[in-house]
Amino acid sequence: MITKRIMCPKCKNQLTIEGNPGEKKIINCPKCNSKGVFTFPGDKPIKKSDTVSFAIEVDGLTKMYKDLKAVDNLSLNIRKGEIFGLLGPNGAGKTTTIKAILGLIHSNAGTVKINGYDIKKQDIEAKKSVGYLPERVSFYDNLTPLQTLNFFCELRGDDKSIAKPLIKEVGLEDAIARKVGTFSKGMVQLLGVAQVMIGNPPVYILDEPMAGLDARWVKTIRDKIRKLNEQGATVIFSSHILSEVQNLCNRVAIINKGKLIAQDTVPNLNKLLNIKPRLEITIQGLNGKIPELIKNITGIESIDVLNDTLFITCEPSLRSKIITSIEKSGLIIDNIKTIEPSLEEAFMKLISTDEGGVK
Amino acid sequence: MISINPRSIYTFAKKEFLDNIRNKWFLLLTVLFIILILVFSYVAGGQTGGDTFGNMQNTVLLMMSISSILIPLIAIILGFATISGEAESGALYVVLSYPIRRIEVLLGKLFGLGAVIMVSIFLGFGLGGIVIAVTVGTESFGGYLGFILLSIFVGFIYLSLSISISAYCKKRITSILGGLILFFWGLIYGTVLFAILLATGGSYDSLFAGDVPEWFFNSVVFSPQDLYQTAVQRAFGVSTIQFENFSFEIPDFLSTPVVVISLIIWFIIPLILGYIFFKRRDI
Repeated sequence: MITKRIMCPKCKNQLTIEGNPGEKKIINCPKCNSKGVFTFPGDKPIKKSDTVSFAIEVDGLTKMYKDLKAVDNLSLNIRKGEIFGLLGPNGAGKTTTIKAILGLIHSNAGTVKINGYDIKKQDIEAKKSVGYLPERVSFYDNLTPLQTLNFFCELRGDDKSIAKPLIKEVGLEDAIARKVGTFSKGMVQLLGVAQVMIGNPPVYILDEPMAGLDARWVKTIRDKIRKLNEQGATVIFSSHILSEVQNLCNRVAIINKGKLIAQDTVPNLNKLLNIKPRLEITIQGLNGKIPELIKNITGIESIDVLNDTLFITCEPSLRSKIITSIEKSGLIIDNIKTIEPSLEEAFMKLISTDEGGVK
Repeated sequence: MISINPRSIYTFAKKEFLDNIRNKWFLLLTVLFIILILVFSYVAGGQTGGDTFGNMQNTVLLMMSISSILIPLIAIILGFATISGEAESGALYVVLSYPIRRIEVLLGKLFGLGAVIMVSIFLGFGLGGIVIAVTVGTESFGGYLGFILLSIFVGFIYLSLSISISAYCKKRITSILGGLILFFWGLIYGTVLFAILLATGGSYDSLFAGDVPEWFFNSVVFSPQDLYQTAVQRAFGVSTIQFENFSFEIPDFLSTPVVVISLIIWFIIPLILGYIFFKRRDI
């Protein structure tokens, strides 16, 4: 039961209403007597099993294609309720990893558990708790979107009445009577998004969900991922674009050439890589000279100067010390900016290290 | 032990049926099949002058010359890329991430596509049967029913064969080749046999004199299309095939049980192989 305070759009009267998530309720304003329908936020509650703390456990996963190790002794632990990013350049083994997690391809070594169920030994139970959107999604040409979703509802043993609302939710209601074979690539992708939500699974695996979509749809997908996560679901998605992962994920695994390079939270990854925020301080009349007082502060990693601007890399805690030192030198600060390190830098550094570059 | 959920098979079969019943190649071949069957049943009925069901031989031989080509062709068109094509396009990725086993997908495909073929057969032979019944009566109805059942079974055999090809081939393009080989195997088998006969000292004349070694007829077991024709002849109790002024005896070796068991083997073995290929396959 949720309690909501709403405002009558006509007379601005405030009233309190109660209902279940997803419920539609006809509201009668007691003041001006106008009628309206209110839909309570939220969907059906997500099925949760609290006995296992990991949504997905991957241990020592290895997949060989002839002599090539597409996935090399990879281990991941994805906690329940987190948004987990699987990051890596194209061809890093992200899709292979995902397919091996789902049992679509047979791994040469290692174990995978989804919601505590082994994908090889308890495949049906494991797959019941996961919704999957492949990178290259395709359906059946001669079926309508409704027939397609009805089929997937039946496969999951779910109520077919959700098929129509799902089609509406992704904006395909105008194409509801058309054959999927006549759909554009984007429309098929949208049907894929509708498909993945059938049965409210506790775990979602989305392979490059934002690849090739325009900005509007990228935002829709991001909002969708957030919404699913707020409802308690675990979302794993892969990407080769850092900005997609950076603001959305609780934790990120970076893989390259089938190997796990790092698995951590975004701030921790920055720490791990020793990437510190950079201060940009503009000082009146500095003219390329670094003030002596700053040079003596211990803990500063690097100082550069360009005209009137100082670029200082250091721990954030040194910030106030630096500012006082500048003021003590009698200089006037025009502007201070802190540039947060991006995952892009972390990513490039990790990959170049992995490929034998400088550490 | 392989565990199976019949509900999943049914769900999958229903989907296969709905999708493939609207396949344009299937529709085209079915229309062709119905037209040819109607023409042939009418012509055969007319020729034998009211004696068609009493003397089924001509009618069935004519119908069989169509069904033994078109039914395998329909089965191959429905089945040749059913796994390889969907693995390539990505439709199988989604399906196999749902709680369904590969054996259930395979059997769902077999039954769903089999139901599609049955629509063709019932329409063609049903309408053909009506034409025959109206023009001449229903005397040999039992044999005609056997003919329909055997036609359905040969459809399932070719489905089992083509599905296993699609489970083995990595790509759609390679399964096209597999499907073509499968189709032409039935067509050229007789020629291959004849070539072997000539190479081993037989002659053209001896064939027409009915003087051929036993293996020549017995090797029918290597062609499901020929087995089907033999089985239909057996179903009508025919043991001699009369062609104008020469005749063949169906050899004793090809008794009804031998023919039926051979047909069952042609169905079961490819299906088991198809399951093994599909089970091992990386999607």
